Amino acid sequence: MGIERPPTGHDVELAALAAAGDRRAYGELVRRHGSAVRGLLRRMGADPTAADDLAQDAFMVGFEQVAEYRGEGTFGGWIKKIAARLYLRRVKREARLIFSDAIEPTEEVMARDVSRDAANRLDLDEALKTLSRGERLCVSLCYGADWSHGETAEALNIPIGTVKSHVKRGLDKLRAKLARPEEGARREAHG
Amino acid sequence: MAEPDFEAQLSRMFAEAPSFPDAPLFNAQMEAKLDRGWAIRRMFIAAAGTAAGLFAAFQILSSRFSSEISQLSRTSGHNLQGEIDAGVAKFNAVLTSSTSAEALWLAAGLAVVALAFAVTRAVEEL
Repeated sequence: MGIERPPTGHDVELAALAAAGDRRAYGELVRRHGSAVRGLLRRMGADPTAADDLAQDAFMVGFEQVAEYRGEGTFGGWIKKIAARLYLRRVKREARLIFSDAIEPTEEVMARDVSRDAANRLDLDEALKTLSRGERLCVSLCYGADWSHGETAEALNIPIGTVKSHVKRGLDKLRAKLARPEEGARREAHG
Repeated sequence: MAEPDFEAQLSRMFAEAPSFPDAPLFNAQMEAKLDRGWAIRRMFIAAAGTAAGLFAAFQILSSRFSSEISQLSRTSGHNLQGEIDAGVAKFNAVLTSSTSAEALWLAAGLAVVALAFAVTRAVEEL
């Protein structure tokens, strides 16, 4: 008996095989998109353990519904949307979804962000931690899960204007955080 | 940096999947979960099939019992109670007669074989 090689092919082909009950094909899709889904959930604010649990749940739901995926959009985008919905459902259930501007990252988080990286370089994951919960969710959904403002507003059950303002404030903060290393390097070059 | 440039950069950053050192473990856990879910589904299908088979076997036997009763009502002029008594007696005779008992035992045997097959497959899957 030869060694079974993992199935190859485009995501759409693998999804079609998975829809016919081929678990190995779906396993390959998990290998391809697992990290992206886990990363998105963490960026939305889930702690690592919860993010991994939810990612597994999302892939299980995806396997049940894979026949509905017909190649419109990427498989990654499709499974990320499922994961995002599951996360929002959990957050709502736990009644932790508070869109108050008063919920800002603590000084402790800010200090930890800076000390963790010796070069004072804040990557996206670290920069996202400096956003309020609402800003982080809206930015992650719109740019990480490719949701429109309307979809985000509907899922979060908030007015679309609130989503837009959260996104704008979030982008402003991220731009400032992510631009900091470049500015620092520029200052050093001039100094 | 202009807004559209930054938004495009942000989309690219979000699109880059972070690398997790425990990705192989995550994948293995997912595969195990998929296999387990599949095994449970097959077990349910097998159990449903067995239950349906048993139900069908009993339906066949009881329909034979009904036909015996209707035949009795057509051929005899006795009162209803007498017919039912006779039907029950006939049913007992059906169950105890050699050919009907054979059919019953055959159905039961098939059900046991189907159940054993389902359990074996489920154990293999798990």
